[in-house]
Amino acid sequence: MATVERPAGAARGARASTGPELATPPLVVRRREEEETVVTFPTLVWREFLAGLGMFVFLMAVSIQVNAPLLQKANTAITPNPAKAPWYFVGLQELLERFPPIMAGVAFPTFVIVFMMLTPYLDKNPSRRPQDRKVAITMFTIYLCLAVAFVLIGALMRGQAFNFDPGLLFGHPHLSSPT
Amino acid sequence: MSATPGQANPVRAFVEQVWGSIFRHGLPSTDKVAARTALTNFFLHIHPVRVKRSAIRVSYTLCLGGLSFFLFILLTITGLFLMFYYIPSVDQAYQNIKDLQFVAVFGDIIRNMHRWAAHGMVITVWLHMARVFYQGAYKPPREFNWVIGTLLLLTTLLLSFSGYLLPWDQLAIWAITVGTNMAKYAPIVGPYTRYLLLGGNQVAQGALIRFYVLHVIALPLIGFLLMVVHFWRVRKDGFTGGL
Repeated sequence: MATVERPAGAARGARASTGPELATPPLVVRRREEEETVVTFPTLVWREFLAGLGMFVFLMAVSIQVNAPLLQKANTAITPNPAKAPWYFVGLQELLERFPPIMAGVAFPTFVIVFMMLTPYLDKNPSRRPQDRKVAITMFTIYLCLAVAFVLIGALMRGQAFNFDPGLLFGHPHLSSPT
Repeated sequence: MSATPGQANPVRAFVEQVWGSIFRHGLPSTDKVAARTALTNFFLHIHPVRVKRSAIRVSYTLCLGGLSFFLFILLTITGLFLMFYYIPSVDQAYQNIKDLQFVAVFGDIIRNMHRWAAHGMVITVWLHMARVFYQGAYKPPREFNWVIGTLLLLTTLLLSFSGYLLPWDQLAIWAITVGTNMAKYAPIVGPYTRYLLLGGNQVAQGALIRFYVLHVIALPLIGFLLMVVHFWRVRKDGFTGGL
Protein backbone atom coordinates (compact mmCIF):
# COMPACT_ATOMS: atom_id res chain seq x y z
CA MET A 1 0.00 0.00 0.00
CA ALA A 2 2.52 2.52 1.24
CA THR A 3 4.84 1.95 -1.71
CA VAL A 4 1.98 2.57 -4.11
CA GLU A 5 0.95 5.75 -2.36
CA ARG A 6 4.35 7.38 -2.02
CA PRO A 7 4.92 8.11 -5.69
CA ALA A 8 1.38 9.50 -5.98
CA GLY A 9 1.97 11.67 -2.94
CA ALA A 10 5.29 12.82 -4.30
CA ALA A 11 3.72 13.73 -7.62
CA ARG A 12 1.01 15.71 -5.85
CA GLY A 13 3.63 17.38 -3.68
CA ALA A 14 5.50 18.49 -6.76
CA ARG A 15 2.39 20.19 -8.15
CA ALA A 16 1.33 22.14 -5.03
CA SER A 17 3.74 24.03 -2.82
CA THR A 18 1.77 22.99 0.30
CA GLY A 19 2.23 19.41 -0.83
CA PRO A 20 3.45 17.60 2.30
CA GLU A 21 0.28 18.24 4.32
CA LEU A 22 -2.05 17.53 1.42
CA ALA A 23 -0.37 14.24 0.70
CA THR A 24 -0.56 12.91 4.25
CA PRO A 25 -4.26 12.48 5.18
CA PRO A 26 -4.37 8.72 4.42
CA LEU A 27 -1.60 8.16 6.96
CA VAL A 28 -3.61 10.01 9.63
CA VAL A 29 -6.62 7.84 8.93
CA ARG A 30 -4.51 4.72 9.22
CA ARG A 31 -3.18 5.76 12.60
CA ARG A 32 -6.69 6.32 13.92
CA GLU A 33 -7.76 2.88 12.82
CA GLU A 34 -5.74 1.50 15.69
CA GLU A 35 -8.59 2.57 17.98
CA GLU A 36 -11.24 -0.02 18.64
CA THR A 37 -14.21 0.13 16.28
CA VAL A 38 -17.69 -1.32 16.43
CA VAL A 39 -20.37 -1.99 13.83
CA THR A 40 -22.98 0.81 13.75
CA PHE A 41 -25.65 -1.78 13.08
CA PRO A 42 -26.88 -2.90 15.55
CA THR A 43 -24.75 -1.10 18.22
CA LEU A 44 -25.49 2.51 17.29
CA VAL A 45 -28.89 1.89 15.71
CA TRP A 46 -30.06 0.22 18.91
CA ARG A 47 -29.00 3.20 21.02
CA GLU A 48 -30.70 5.59 18.62
CA PHE A 49 -33.84 3.51 18.77
CA LEU A 50 -33.84 3.55 22.57
CA ALA A 51 -33.20 7.32 22.69
CA GLY A 52 -35.99 7.94 20.19
CA LEU A 53 -38.35 5.63 22.04
CA GLY A 54 -37.58 7.37 25.34
CA MET A 55 -38.20 10.78 23.79
CA PHE A 56 -41.45 9.57 22.21
CA VAL A 57 -42.77 8.14 25.47
CA PHE A 58 -41.82 11.32 27.30
CA LEU A 59 -43.53 13.53 24.70
CA MET A 60 -46.61 11.31 24.67
CA ALA A 61 -46.87 11.55 28.47
CA VAL A 62 -46.48 15.34 28.38
CA SER A 63 -48.97 15.65 25.50
CA ILE A 64 -51.60 13.64 27.37
CA GLN A 65 -51.15 15.72 30.52
CA VAL A 66 -50.50 19.24 29.24
CA ASN A 67 -52.49 20.98 26.54
CA ALA A 68 -50.75 23.31 24.12
CA PRO A 69 -51.76 26.89 24.91
CA LEU A 70 -54.67 28.38 23.00
CA LEU A 71 -55.97 31.83 23.99
CA GLN A 72 -58.84 33.85 22.58
CA LYS A 73 -59.06 34.29 18.83
CA ALA A 74 -56.56 36.80 17.45
CA ASN A 75 -57.73 40.38 17.81
CA THR A 76 -55.58 43.30 16.66
CA ALA A 77 -57.68 45.68 18.78
CA ILE A 78 -56.74 44.06 22.10
CA THR A 79 -53.05 44.03 22.99
CA PRO A 80 -52.26 41.56 25.74
CA ASN A 81 -50.17 42.95 28.57
CA PRO A 82 -47.35 42.06 28.47
CA ALA A 83 -46.94 41.10 24.80
CA LYS A 84 -44.00 38.72 24.54
CA ALA A 85 -42.08 37.11 21.70
CA PRO A 86 -41.73 33.29 21.68
CA TRP A 87 -39.46 32.26 24.53
CA TYR A 88 -36.32 31.71 22.43
CA PHE A 89 -36.61 35.30 21.14
CA VAL A 90 -37.55 36.75 24.52
CA GLY A 91 -33.84 37.20 25.24
CA LEU A 92 -33.67 39.52 22.23
CA GLN A 93 -36.75 41.35 23.49
CA GLU A 94 -35.01 41.68 26.84
CA LEU A 95 -31.96 43.19 25.10
CA LEU A 96 -34.25 45.67 23.34
CA GLU A 97 -35.37 46.92 26.75
CA ARG A 98 -31.80 47.64 27.78
CA PHE A 99 -30.04 48.83 24.64
CA PRO A 100 -30.86 51.03 21.66
CA PRO A 101 -32.78 49.06 19.01
CA ILE A 102 -30.00 49.30 16.44
CA MET A 103 -27.71 47.56 18.94
CA ALA A 104 -30.08 45.02 20.45
CA GLY A 105 -32.21 44.26 17.39
CA VAL A 106 -29.52 44.28 14.70
CA ALA A 107 -25.91 44.60 15.81
CA PHE A 108 -25.92 42.01 18.62
CA PRO A 109 -27.77 39.20 16.81
CA THR A 110 -25.79 39.75 13.60
CA PHE A 111 -22.54 39.74 15.56
CA VAL A 112 -23.52 36.54 17.41
CA ILE A 113 -24.50 34.68 14.24
CA VAL A 114 -21.47 35.79 12.22
CA PHE A 115 -19.07 35.19 15.12
CA MET A 116 -20.58 31.75 15.70
CA MET A 117 -20.13 30.78 12.05
CA LEU A 118 -16.54 32.07 12.05
CA THR A 119 -15.64 30.30 15.31
CA PRO A 120 -13.90 27.28 13.68
CA TYR A 121 -11.86 29.60 11.45
CA LEU A 122 -10.88 31.99 14.24
CA ASP A 123 -10.02 29.31 16.79
CA LYS A 124 -6.52 28.30 15.65
CA ASN A 125 -5.88 26.13 18.69
CA PRO A 126 -5.55 22.56 17.34
CA SER A 127 -6.13 20.86 20.71
CA ARG A 128 -9.51 19.47 21.67
CA ARG A 129 -8.60 18.83 25.31
CA PRO A 130 -10.51 21.12 27.70
CA GLN A 131 -7.39 22.02 29.67
CA ASP A 132 -5.84 23.50 26.51
CA ARG A 133 -8.93 25.50 25.58
CA LYS A 134 -9.57 27.62 28.64
CA VAL A 135 -10.19 30.87 26.72
CA ALA A 136 -12.59 29.34 24.18
CA ILE A 137 -14.52 27.43 26.84
CA THR A 138 -14.73 30.48 29.13
CA MET A 139 -16.01 32.71 26.31
CA PHE A 140 -18.59 30.20 25.16
CA THR A 141 -19.77 29.52 28.72
CA ILE A 142 -20.21 33.25 29.36
CA TYR A 143 -22.20 33.52 26.12
CA LEU A 144 -24.41 30.54 27.05
CA CYS A 145 -25.03 31.86 30.56
CA LEU A 146 -25.92 35.33 29.26
CA ALA A 147 -28.28 33.87 26.63
CA VAL A 148 -30.02 31.65 29.20
CA ALA A 149 -30.18 34.48 31.77
CA PHE A 150 -31.75 36.91 29.31
CA VAL A 151 -34.32 34.34 28.22
CA LEU A 152 -35.19 33.50 31.84
CA ILE A 153 -35.45 37.16 32.86
CA GLY A 154 -37.56 37.98 29.82
CA ALA A 155 -39.79 34.95 30.18
CA LEU A 156 -40.24 34.79 33.95
CA MET A 157 -39.45 38.21 35.45
CA ARG A 158 -41.13 40.61 33.05
CA GLY A 159 -44.62 41.61 34.07
CA GLN A 160 -47.08 44.19 32.81
CA ALA A 161 -45.76 46.51 30.11
CA PHE A 162 -42.68 44.25 30.14
CA ASN A 163 -41.56 45.89 33.41
CA PHE A 164 -38.88 44.10 35.39
CA ASP A 165 -40.60 42.33 38.28
CA PRO A 166 -38.63 39.51 39.93
CA GLY A 167 -41.56 39.00 42.32
CA LEU A 168 -43.29 37.15 39.45
CA LEU A 169 -40.92 34.28 40.06
CA PHE A 170 -42.55 33.69 43.43
CA GLY A 171 -46.08 34.40 42.29
CA HIS A 172 -46.17 37.86 43.86
CA PRO A 173 -46.30 40.39 41.06
CA HIS A 174 -45.20 43.84 42.10
CA LEU A 175 -48.24 45.93 42.95
CA SER A 176 -46.93 49.38 42.06
CA SER A 177 -47.78 49.12 38.36
CA PRO A 178 -51.49 48.34 38.18
CA THR A 179 -53.24 48.52 34.85
CA MET B 1 -33.27 -22.19 3.53
CA SER B 2 -33.14 -23.57 0.00
CA ALA B 3 -36.27 -25.51 -0.80
CA THR B 4 -35.89 -29.26 -1.08
CA PRO B 5 -37.69 -30.28 -4.26
CA GLY B 6 -40.99 -32.07 -3.87
CA GLN B 7 -41.32 -31.76 -0.12
CA ALA B 8 -41.12 -27.96 0.38
CA ASN B 9 -44.18 -26.12 1.60
CA PRO B 10 -44.96 -23.76 -1.30
CA VAL B 11 -46.42 -21.10 1.04
CA ARG B 12 -43.35 -21.17 3.21
CA ALA B 13 -41.11 -21.01 0.16
CA PHE B 14 -43.04 -18.04 -1.15
CA VAL B 15 -42.82 -16.20 2.18
CA GLU B 16 -39.13 -16.90 2.38
CA GLN B 17 -38.58 -15.66 -1.15
CA VAL B 18 -40.47 -12.43 -0.47
CA TRP B 19 -38.68 -11.88 2.85
CA GLY B 20 -35.33 -12.68 1.28
CA SER B 21 -35.96 -10.29 -1.59
CA ILE B 22 -36.56 -7.43 0.88
CA PHE B 23 -33.89 -8.19 3.47
CA ARG B 24 -30.76 -9.52 1.80
CA HIS B 25 -29.20 -10.63 5.05
CA GLY B 26 -30.31 -12.22 8.26
CA LEU B 27 -30.19 -10.85 11.76
CA PRO B 28 -26.81 -9.38 12.71
CA SER B 29 -25.50 -12.53 14.39
CA THR B 30 -21.86 -11.71 13.65
CA ASP B 31 -20.01 -8.50 12.82
CA LYS B 32 -19.60 -9.68 9.26
CA VAL B 33 -23.34 -10.19 8.73
CA ALA B 34 -24.07 -6.90 10.50
CA ALA B 35 -21.64 -5.05 8.25
CA ARG B 36 -23.18 -6.58 5.14
CA THR B 37 -26.68 -5.69 6.35
CA ALA B 38 -25.66 -2.09 6.94
CA LEU B 39 -24.04 -1.89 3.51
CA THR B 40 -27.04 -3.22 1.61
CA ASN B 41 -29.78 -1.36 3.51
CA PHE B 42 -30.69 2.12 2.30
CA PHE B 43 -31.82 3.37 5.70
CA LEU B 44 -28.91 1.90 7.63
CA HIS B 45 -26.54 3.35 5.07
CA ILE B 46 -26.88 6.76 6.76
CA HIS B 47 -24.24 5.42 9.15
CA PRO B 48 -20.79 4.19 8.22
CA VAL B 49 -20.44 0.43 8.72
CA ARG B 50 -17.88 0.79 11.52
CA VAL B 51 -17.07 3.64 13.86
CA LYS B 52 -14.76 4.12 16.79
CA ARG B 53 -16.34 2.86 19.96
CA SER B 54 -15.55 6.14 21.72
CA ALA B 55 -17.32 8.18 19.01
CA ILE B 56 -20.73 6.75 19.79
CA ARG B 57 -20.48 6.51 23.56
CA VAL B 58 -23.74 7.92 24.92
CA SER B 59 -21.86 9.90 27.57
CA TYR B 60 -19.96 11.56 24.70
CA THR B 61 -22.74 12.37 22.21
CA LEU B 62 -25.62 12.56 24.70
CA CYS B 63 -27.68 11.49 21.65
CA LEU B 64 -28.46 15.17 21.06
CA GLY B 65 -27.96 15.27 17.29
CA GLY B 66 -29.94 12.08 16.83
CA LEU B 67 -32.72 13.32 19.10
CA SER B 68 -32.92 16.58 17.13
CA PHE B 69 -33.34 14.56 13.93
CA PHE B 70 -35.88 12.29 15.60
CA LEU B 71 -37.89 15.32 16.73
CA PHE B 72 -37.75 16.70 13.18
CA ILE B 73 -39.25 13.46 11.87
CA LEU B 74 -41.87 13.42 14.62
CA LEU B 75 -42.75 17.05 13.82
CA THR B 76 -43.05 16.21 10.13
CA ILE B 77 -45.45 13.34 10.85
CA THR B 78 -47.60 15.16 13.42
CA GLY B 79 -47.51 18.26 11.20
CA LEU B 80 -48.81 16.21 8.29
CA PHE B 81 -51.80 15.12 10.38
CA LEU B 82 -52.46 18.70 11.47
CA MET B 83 -52.47 19.84 7.85
CA PHE B 84 -55.53 17.67 7.14
CA TYR B 85 -57.54 19.83 9.51
CA TYR B 86 -55.96 23.23 9.12
CA ILE B 87 -56.93 25.95 6.67
CA PRO B 88 -54.64 29.00 6.69
CA SER B 89 -57.43 31.57 6.66
CA VAL B 90 -57.99 34.20 9.37
CA ASP B 91 -61.67 33.24 9.40
CA GLN B 92 -61.14 29.51 9.82
CA ALA B 93 -57.73 28.81 11.33
CA TYR B 94 -58.72 29.41 14.94
CA GLN B 95 -61.84 27.24 14.65
CA ASN B 96 -59.75 24.50 13.01
CA ILE B 97 -57.48 24.46 16.04
CA LYS B 98 -60.51 24.34 18.35
CA ASP B 99 -61.81 21.38 16.34
CA LEU B 100 -58.44 19.67 16.65
CA GLN B 101 -58.56 20.24 20.39
CA PHE B 102 -62.12 19.10 20.97
CA VAL B 103 -63.58 17.29 17.92
CA ALA B 104 -60.98 15.37 15.92
CA VAL B 105 -60.07 11.98 17.37
CA PHE B 106 -56.65 12.28 19.02
CA GLY B 107 -56.45 15.78 17.52
CA ASP B 108 -55.49 17.28 20.88
CA ILE B 109 -52.69 14.79 21.43
CA ILE B 110 -51.29 15.30 17.94
CA ARG B 111 -51.39 19.08 18.34
CA ASN B 112 -49.88 18.95 21.85
CA MET B 113 -47.15 16.66 20.64
CA HIS B 114 -46.36 18.94 17.70
CA ARG B 115 -46.11 21.91 20.06
CA TRP B 116 -43.99 20.28 22.74
CA ALA B 117 -41.75 18.51 20.23
CA ALA B 118 -41.13 21.91 18.58
CA HIS B 119 -40.00 23.42 21.88
CA GLY B 120 -38.00 20.26 22.50
CA MET B 121 -36.23 20.54 19.16
CA VAL B 122 -35.15 24.13 19.84
CA ILE B 123 -33.65 22.89 23.12
CA THR B 124 -31.95 19.75 21.74
CA VAL B 125 -30.44 21.65 18.81
CA TRP B 126 -29.05 24.26 21.23
CA LEU B 127 -27.66 21.60 23.51
CA HIS B 128 -26.18 19.73 20.53
CA MET B 129 -24.37 22.91 19.53
CA ALA B 130 -23.08 23.36 23.09
CA ARG B 131 -21.81 19.80 23.33
CA VAL B 132 -20.04 20.03 19.94
CA PHE B 133 -18.41 23.25 21.09
CA TYR B 134 -17.26 21.94 24.45
CA GLN B 135 -15.69 18.93 22.79
CA GLY B 136 -13.98 21.05 20.16
CA ALA B 137 -15.60 18.90 17.49
CA TYR B 138 -15.86 21.90 15.13
CA LYS B 139 -12.10 22.00 14.60
CA PRO B 140 -10.54 21.14 11.21
CA PRO B 141 -11.57 19.36 9.09
CA ARG B 142 -15.10 19.95 10.40
CA GLU B 143 -15.22 23.78 10.21
CA PHE B 144 -17.83 23.94 7.50
CA ASN B 145 -20.09 21.38 9.13
CA TRP B 146 -20.23 23.70 12.14
CA VAL B 147 -21.35 26.50 9.79
CA ILE B 148 -24.08 24.21 8.40
CA GLY B 149 -25.03 23.40 11.98
CA THR B 150 -25.41 27.11 12.72
CA LEU B 151 -27.69 27.43 9.70
CA LEU B 152 -29.68 24.43 10.97
CA LEU B 153 -30.08 26.14 14.34
CA LEU B 154 -31.40 29.27 12.60
CA THR B 155 -33.71 27.14 10.44
CA THR B 156 -35.04 25.43 13.58
CA LEU B 157 -35.75 28.81 15.21
CA LEU B 158 -37.47 30.09 12.07
CA LEU B 159 -39.52 26.89 11.75
CA SER B 160 -40.71 27.28 15.32
CA PHE B 161 -41.32 31.00 14.89
CA SER B 162 -43.32 30.56 11.68
CA GLY B 163 -45.44 27.86 13.31
CA TYR B 164 -46.16 30.11 16.25
CA LEU B 165 -48.56 32.25 14.21
CA LEU B 166 -50.67 29.45 12.76
CA PRO B 167 -53.17 28.85 15.63
CA TRP B 168 -54.23 32.46 15.08
CA ASP B 169 -54.96 33.18 18.73
CA GLN B 170 -53.90 36.15 20.83
CA LEU B 171 -50.64 34.46 21.83
CA ALA B 172 -49.77 33.79 18.19
CA ILE B 173 -50.52 37.13 16.63
CA TRP B 174 -48.89 39.23 19.36
CA ALA B 175 -45.79 37.11 19.65
CA ILE B 176 -45.33 37.47 15.89
CA THR B 177 -46.06 41.20 16.10
CA VAL B 178 -43.37 41.63 18.76
CA GLY B 179 -40.99 39.32 16.90
CA THR B 180 -41.34 40.94 13.50
CA ASN B 181 -41.12 44.42 15.05
CA MET B 182 -37.52 43.54 15.88
CA ALA B 183 -36.83 43.22 12.14
CA LYS B 184 -37.87 46.88 11.72
CA TYR B 185 -34.74 48.12 13.48
CA ALA B 186 -32.35 46.94 10.79
CA PRO B 187 -31.06 49.97 8.91
CA ILE B 188 -32.61 50.58 5.48
CA VAL B 189 -33.74 46.99 4.83
CA GLY B 190 -35.56 46.58 8.18
CA PRO B 191 -39.01 47.92 7.31
CA TYR B 192 -38.88 46.27 3.89
CA THR B 193 -37.97 42.93 5.46
CA ARG B 194 -40.90 43.19 7.83
CA TYR B 195 -43.26 44.14 5.00
CA LEU B 196 -42.00 41.23 2.90
CA LEU B 197 -42.39 38.79 5.78
CA LEU B 198 -45.89 39.92 6.72
CA GLY B 199 -47.16 40.68 3.23
CA GLY B 200 -48.36 44.01 4.63
CA ASN B 201 -47.87 46.34 7.56
CA GLN B 202 -49.94 44.32 10.02
CA VAL B 203 -50.11 40.70 11.06
CA ALA B 204 -53.15 39.74 8.96
CA GLN B 205 -54.19 37.28 6.21
CA GLY B 206 -51.09 38.08 4.15
CA ALA B 207 -48.84 37.17 7.07
CA LEU B 208 -50.79 34.00 7.86
CA ILE B 209 -50.46 32.50 4.38
CA ARG B 210 -46.79 33.49 4.14
CA PHE B 211 -45.94 31.97 7.50
CA TYR B 212 -47.95 28.86 6.58
CA VAL B 213 -46.11 28.30 3.30
CA LEU B 214 -42.76 28.96 4.98
CA HIS B 215 -43.67 26.62 7.82
CA VAL B 216 -44.97 23.62 5.88
CA ILE B 217 -42.91 23.76 2.67
CA ALA B 218 -40.01 26.18 2.38
CA LEU B 219 -38.30 25.90 5.76
CA PRO B 220 -38.71 22.10 6.12
CA LEU B 221 -37.16 21.65 2.65
CA ILE B 222 -34.28 23.97 3.50
CA GLY B 223 -33.84 22.19 6.82
CA PHE B 224 -33.94 18.78 5.16
CA LEU B 225 -31.35 19.74 2.57
CA LEU B 226 -29.05 21.18 5.23
CA MET B 227 -29.50 18.03 7.32
CA VAL B 228 -28.59 15.76 4.41
CA VAL B 229 -25.37 17.73 3.88
CA HIS B 230 -24.74 17.84 7.64
CA PHE B 231 -25.02 14.05 8.00
CA TRP B 232 -23.06 13.41 4.83
CA ARG B 233 -20.21 15.55 6.11
CA VAL B 234 -20.28 13.89 9.53
CA ARG B 235 -19.47 10.70 7.67
CA LYS B 236 -16.96 12.17 5.23
CA ASP B 237 -15.08 14.32 7.75
CA GLY B 238 -14.86 11.41 10.17
CA PHE B 239 -16.04 11.03 13.74
CA THR B 240 -14.24 12.84 16.53
CA GLY B 241 -14.58 10.41 19.39
CA GLY B 242 -13.11 10.37 22.88
CA LEU B 243 -11.02 13.23 24.16
